[in-house]
Amino acid sequence: MAALAWTIARRELRGGAKGFRIFLACLALGVAAIAAVGSIAAAIGRGLESQGQSLLGGDVMLRMIHRDLTDAHRAFLDDGRTVSRSMTLRAMARPEAGDNRSLVELKAVDALYPLYGALRLAPARPPAEIFAQRDGVHGAAVEDALLRRLGIALGGRIQIGSARYEIRAIVENEPDRATSAQALALGPRILVGLDSMAATGLVQPGSLIWYGYQLRLPERESPAAFRTTLARAFPDAWWQVRDRTNAAPQVSHFVERTTLFLTLVGLTALVVGGVGVGNAVRHFLAGKTATIATFKCLGATAPLVFGVYLVQILVMAAIGIAIGLAIGAALPLLAAGPLAQAMNLPAEAGVYGGPLAIAALFGILVALAFSVWPIAQACEVPPGTLFRALVRPMRAWPRPVFVVLTFAAGFALAALGVASAPDRRLALWFVAGTAAALVLFRLAGLLITALARRVPAGRRTGLRLALANLHRPGAATGSIVVSLGLGLTVLVTVASIQGNLAHQIDATLPDRAPGFYFVDIQPDQHQAFEALVRAQPGFRALQSLPMLRGRITRLNDRAADDMAVAPETAWMLRGDRGVTWARGRPDDAKVVAGTWWPEDYRGPPLLSFTAEGAKGLGLAVGDTMTVNVLGRDITARIANLREVEWGTLRMNFAIVLSPGLIEAAPQTWLATVHADPDAELAIERVVTERFPNVTAIRVKDVLQTVASVLDKLAAAVGFTAAITLVAGTLVLAGAIVASHRRRVYDAVVLKVLGATRGRILGSFLVEYGILGLATAIVAGILGSIAAWAVVTQVMRLDWVFLPGLVAAAAFLCGALTIGMGLVGTWRALGQKPAPLLRNP
Amino acid sequence: MRDDGSVPTPMILLDDVHLRLESAAGPVNILRGVSLRVDHGETVAVVGPSGSGKSTMMMVMGGLERQTTGAVAIDGVDLGRLDEDGLALFRRRTVGIVFQNFHLVPTMTALENVAIPLEFAGARDAFERARAGLVAVGLEQRLGHYPGQLSGGEQQRVALARAFAPAPKLLLADEPTGNLDGATGDQVIDLLFALRARTGTTLVLITHNPELARRCDRELRIADGLIAGDVDRRFDAAGRGA
Repeated sequence: MAALAWTIARRELRGGAKGFRIFLACLALGVAAIAAVGSIAAAIGRGLESQGQSLLGGDVMLRMIHRDLTDAHRAFLDDGRTVSRSMTLRAMARPEAGDNRSLVELKAVDALYPLYGALRLAPARPPAEIFAQRDGVHGAAVEDALLRRLGIALGGRIQIGSARYEIRAIVENEPDRATSAQALALGPRILVGLDSMAATGLVQPGSLIWYGYQLRLPERESPAAFRTTLARAFPDAWWQVRDRTNAAPQVSHFVERTTLFLTLVGLTALVVGGVGVGNAVRHFLAGKTATIATFKCLGATAPLVFGVYLVQILVMAAIGIAIGLAIGAALPLLAAGPLAQAMNLPAEAGVYGGPLAIAALFGILVALAFSVWPIAQACEVPPGTLFRALVRPMRAWPRPVFVVLTFAAGFALAALGVASAPDRRLALWFVAGTAAALVLFRLAGLLITALARRVPAGRRTGLRLALANLHRPGAATGSIVVSLGLGLTVLVTVASIQGNLAHQIDATLPDRAPGFYFVDIQPDQHQAFEALVRAQPGFRALQSLPMLRGRITRLNDRAADDMAVAPETAWMLRGDRGVTWARGRPDDAKVVAGTWWPEDYRGPPLLSFTAEGAKGLGLAVGDTMTVNVLGRDITARIANLREVEWGTLRMNFAIVLSPGLIEAAPQTWLATVHADPDAELAIERVVTERFPNVTAIRVKDVLQTVASVLDKLAAAVGFTAAITLVAGTLVLAGAIVASHRRRVYDAVVLKVLGATRGRILGSFLVEYGILGLATAIVAGILGSIAAWAVVTQVMRLDWVFLPGLVAAAAFLCGALTIGMGLVGTWRALGQKPAPLLRNP
Repeated sequence: MRDDGSVPTPMILLDDVHLRLESAAGPVNILRGVSLRVDHGETVAVVGPSGSGKSTMMMVMGGLERQTTGAVAIDGVDLGRLDEDGLALFRRRTVGIVFQNFHLVPTMTALENVAIPLEFAGARDAFERARAGLVAVGLEQRLGHYPGQLSGGEQQRVALARAFAPAPKLLLADEPTGNLDGATGDQVIDLLFALRARTGTTLVLITHNPELARRCDRELRIADGLIAGDVDRRFDAAGRGA
């Protein structure tokens, strides 16, 4: 039977792709989106993998903050291996002449740097020559942004700490930038020689300096073997170790998350397109009623007819998927390069089979999930249709086997969406959300239909006509509401999340956040610093705390490494955390459990922990925690728990120790300063002039940096979300095309009965307006709920409802439906009545 | 009765067939107790005003519509016992249909249109037989033409070839000349009777044309869902009957 179905289908396909344009566009669009996202991710993944060595700057890298290696460690590393050492820190740069200041991301490298990859400088000179001391001045290579900020030119001189540098080159490419210690660059990069650091005076006990050791291993030693040997030699090391096989886990993780999100949005576009696929199939089969009835009269069984049309739909789907794959594969070839450069990521352009196969599979499943049902319904066309015009209602439900098949395809689609995602839980939520949204929009469509039937239109003919068009049998109201609504929901969700983040950065944070962070204040400068800042005009408030770095090693009697904790809390146990100590309760600390120690406390060690962290780690007041500070284990009892609002950008420490434990350890002070906005620059200047080793971080600059990163991300997400809306628009266009004949007929009959064009147009306007507005309202509500959930539950930020945004979405939706509807009906209005009535 | 005393299975046996359709305006009784026996090889014309139930009766005979009550047996097969797909298989083996509107498949050539019932039946020589069928209706020059490239008369000749191709025992024709001009219609009818005579197929023909009706062995008059008259011309020819 399959061969016969194929033979007949092939003959039927001679009609070509006419009537399948929307079908093809819907499938191609969604498949292209998924394929392109997957391909770009694969290109970046391959780039990260193959350039692991140069990204990492070595086969293995050890990195530690605060505390450098000892001679014993160095001797171990140097044994048969090549080791390049570097320091990374934030510092203030100022020109020798002039008042400009800039925070810089300073990296000091030795003569071996880089072990892998190439440092590209302009002019192209060997790094050693650039960094060398000449006439008592060290050389530096900088990102050109620094020259602009400081208002100097190549060859100009700047001061960092107490050292002077001559800028001798521009950094064009730093091979290991993507794996830099400071993930978020708050200032331009400056590269200097390691031997110049002593002169800066910035290397003090307790300074926030990342020490990096990049290693080239001998042939015979694999990274894994080295790591094992290292771990055995130094079981309680405080450093992070990375190797070339997973050079940039954060970058990989970021790419993975972004890919997942974009893929899921692409999948929504495909599902929305699926509604269009279903409509197109239904429309196509409606034109085949006579042929199907003829087949059945000639003795074709329903399964054979099903086969004939399934083959045709699958052939068309294959064409749509092929178009989508071609676009999806070509797009990254064109875009991967610029994109990777913009995001500072390596990408190896190429055609990647895996993501294309997954995109194709998604396409096939969507085609099946949305077309099996209408095909199966069409197979039940009674053959007697050929004998009489009396049309009997189509069976609402196809045969059980086809119902099962439809649900199986839908389930497989959801399963593939979840299975192919790196974060299954998130994907599952997304799939469940999309399924729920589909059901809700279906219900909304039914509600609109039901209301249109009930609402009394009175004597207003136009309104009555519009309402009738919404609820008459065969109206596309349901599918338009579902497809356009789903697309719009995604857009509202994304825009609301983005709007909320922007609101946090633009409106909420600046009010509450301090103007500055001052870091690396030496203990002996602390008093003078405070006095200086307090004396400045425009000063409002200052808070300062000593800071050390510490790592949680034990919780009660259990080693932290062995504990299984929730992913949200895992970061607390990973690497070093800022640790402080305090006598009295800090002014803004909100103690929710236990009590703060007295100011003159001198008893056994106590600590204050965050309530959220305690919940995640399963700790309570009275439990003990061991913190390793500068190699020394301090075991303290948890005296109280605090609620910490990380979002305020105030000074927040997860761990606050009682006095008497770490005052003597090398430490620096951290201060936040609130000041009048127009006094900020002057304060920064005075402080950095007087204390060249102190680094000022302007919160505004940080927020701007964060905002620009968010903007880039939002652009990518917004673009993908817009694809969903395009898919929705395609469905709308398809529905309008499908109803064209009927509209022409309606328009002609109405004209014959004396209706003016204006009146007919007005009625169509009302119809599309109601449809667009109702859809937008539901999408606005659902999108806002989804965004609220993400903002408050996932990001843990305050929620602001953005009515303007929802109104804009509603306007967009209304304009889209009315606009498309008008384009569709304009032609209908131009028809002359006579020919159509003569030969209806 | 046969010479040996046995009663032959009739080609068509309708026994008190009622058919009621539910419509928005309430139930409509289309057939109201039709009983009929047609033997193998008979040619039967069905006449009557529009809406009298002619087409519905024909659909019931072809298994295209199910009776509400009563029994329908075609060539000894009780159609009431067959499901939708069973009826399709039954039509494949037993029934050929010619429509007023031809109903050729527009995407298929004349040859393919004729071959398709044979292909449904799994005939390996579908195309050879289809070609022969088209030669028999004088369309050997039009094998590769699509319906849109054929005149109305030619299309109906293709439809005749298609209906006769699987050698059905029963041919149902619903006003086969209704959409053709007089001369063309006559040619098609001549062809229809010639093919029938050659194959001995039982023919049921709906027509409004009294002349055409007179060419058949029997003439059934349907009115208001009932058989209002049944004239057997063979008896006439023998000087008996009405």
